[in-house]
Amino acid sequence: MTQDVEMKDQAVPSDSVSSATPSPLQHLKEIASLIETGAYAREVRRIVRAIRLTMVLRRKLKASVLSAFLTSALVPGSEVHSRLSSYLPKEDDHDMEVDTATSATQAPVKHSLPELEIYCYLLVLIFLIDQKRYSEAKSCSSASITRLKNLNRRTVDVLAARLYFYYSLSYELTDDLAEIRGNLLSLHRIATLRHDELGQETLLNLLLRNYLHYNLYDQAEKLRSKAPRFEAHSNQQFCRYLFYLGKIRTIQLEYTDAKESLLQAARKAPVAALGFRVQCNKWAVIVRLLLGEIPERTVFMQKGMEKALRPYFELTNAVRIGDLELFKSVAEKFASIFTSDGTHNLIVRLRHNVIRTGLRNISISYSRISLADVAKKLRLDSSNPVADAESIVAKAIRDGAIDATLDHANGWMLSKETGDIYSTNEPQFAFNSRIAFCLNMHNEAVRALRFPPNSHKEKESAEKRRERQQQEQELAKHIAEEDDDDF
Amino acid sequence: MDPKLKEVSQLFERFKAAFIRNDFDTCTKLLSQLKSLEAFHHYLKKRPMQIHELTIARDIYEHAVVLSVKIEDQDAFERDFFQLKPYYTDACSGRLPPSPQEYPILGLNLLRLLVQNRIAEFHTELELLSAPALENPCIKHAVELEQSFMEGAYNRVLSARQTVPHETYVYFMDLLAKTVRDEIAGCSEKAYDSLSINDARRMLLYSSDQELFEYIKEEHSEWEIKNGYVIFQRAKESAPCKEIPSLQLINQTLSYARELERIV
Repeated sequence: MTQDVEMKDQAVPSDSVSSATPSPLQHLKEIASLIETGAYAREVRRIVRAIRLTMVLRRKLKASVLSAFLTSALVPGSEVHSRLSSYLPKEDDHDMEVDTATSATQAPVKHSLPELEIYCYLLVLIFLIDQKRYSEAKSCSSASITRLKNLNRRTVDVLAARLYFYYSLSYELTDDLAEIRGNLLSLHRIATLRHDELGQETLLNLLLRNYLHYNLYDQAEKLRSKAPRFEAHSNQQFCRYLFYLGKIRTIQLEYTDAKESLLQAARKAPVAALGFRVQCNKWAVIVRLLLGEIPERTVFMQKGMEKALRPYFELTNAVRIGDLELFKSVAEKFASIFTSDGTHNLIVRLRHNVIRTGLRNISISYSRISLADVAKKLRLDSSNPVADAESIVAKAIRDGAIDATLDHANGWMLSKETGDIYSTNEPQFAFNSRIAFCLNMHNEAVRALRFPPNSHKEKESAEKRRERQQQEQELAKHIAEEDDDDF
Repeated sequence: MDPKLKEVSQLFERFKAAFIRNDFDTCTKLLSQLKSLEAFHHYLKKRPMQIHELTIARDIYEHAVVLSVKIEDQDAFERDFFQLKPYYTDACSGRLPPSPQEYPILGLNLLRLLVQNRIAEFHTELELLSAPALENPCIKHAVELEQSFMEGAYNRVLSARQTVPHETYVYFMDLLAKTVRDEIAGCSEKAYDSLSINDARRMLLYSSDQELFEYIKEEHSEWEIKNGYVIFQRAKESAPCKEIPSLQLINQTLSYARELERIV
């Protein structure tokens, strides 16, 4: 401990570049010690916290801070250390001096933990990505993945999951996602074999993202339906999963399920993840339109989203009015936006919903209307509009979109009186599904409650705990030996 | 060129000759030989395929797909198409010059999915196509068909048969016509109370009353033919509920009670 204090004293004044109080380096050291205790005590929780703290520091990371940290955390001169420091630019001589000075005091006592090593990889990788040095980030992440494959420790899993994410991100930023697909698949297999659920969750999402990036919906769905599912460990990963699931289902025309996933993803996403929520909302709007629903105005007026959702707002307006001309002009006006959002093909599908809505409006306003007028109102531009209108109306009747009958001899459409909905079982079904939803929500909330472990028991004394851990370890050893005997 | 490859290309030449003669039996026989040779060949080598090998393999499968359309075998079409697809989509397409057959065959596949009413797969395939591909007449044809089909503009579907972009499309268009007839029958049943026999015949695309009667007998025996009219028996929908579904209600109420107890 005394050495640590010394180190800090040296580092703080030397770090004139980033002398925000308290210095990032000091923070990093605290995090490192958190990881160390976490690794020794096998408490995954601590490592999760370490990662969360790191993300706060992200903006403050500087090359000098990092290289100082690397020197303190890793054995200087070791392979990992030299490799990682090679990614960092040497800013000035002053820092170099500090490096050598600190390494001299540190070298004999430290032996680096695998957790710390992986953590260093993670830090450097994040730094490289933030500096937009993507090709270096790629090589750094690949090296870390190779190292990870040889590590099998539960406490590394949390760090590994983050590394996977940045690994994929660095390849996505250089648009080489296809390259790492095989690697991700094998990592997913390894994670499954090691019962690393967080890793599986992360990797599954990365794979889905990878497939969807190339519009390979078929492969994505096949993987998704066959990969093992379990209760989500990380809310963020679960949100992503729901979003990808929603996208797949939209493409495969399962709109009701798609809507549910997309809305849930948008709702569960953290407030800060604005971009993600905008994406979810865009897709959700289209799915709801495809389902024949009209999203409320408030959806488009959410804070920070008005501008991004503007094209979708105008689109919704066109569908709501049921005006084919307006719909066409909106689709053309924002064609480039829709193409870059990957929603262009879905909007092509919407055309028939526009016709449906128009038809529904007509059937509500008129009790009897000639098919020629229907064709004129819908602005069907074809060689034989009346015949087209007739078959379109017939299909709408069969699909239950409107309640009417056709009279072929006279060439008109007769709308039926709408019956009293409260004389049917419909309201009861609606209430039932709402009650079920609320009860389910309550149950899930109860299940999601977390309690700190052993808080209800007495506090163990330090000695007792050590004793207990020793016993546990011996037990584990015994079990391992027995396992060996079996082979 | 190594001997194996030579054998394959010779065999392929013979196959093409038979293909042009429309000698389908010989074609099928040669094709199965070709396929096994091809697969075996690559398995032995265990190295990335060369460009000319890839081109030959792609050519073989393209012909196989067209052949399957000509002998009207949809299962074979699906099989061959899936073997062909990697040559279009996967990494090797960057090295391989694009095939002139690519879009006609992709369009053909879309049409097949439409005929088999596999709309979800239709859209999945559609997502894989780039913007210029969507502008291609062969693809556009299939996409527009799907739209008209979804809208219910069946006349447009039928008239599209005259504007097929490729001769091989005719087979699937004929199949589509049958699907369309079933759709029209289903819609008319719900939309009309009755239709005169003349109108019904015209709508269902039959040239004689006799054919119409046979169709009704086979597919829709519940329709009635009376006084020169076809009368549809429409199902009574969502009649006002007279009875209280007591059993269901009891079940629901009990489950609410159980859940509430858990909360309190």
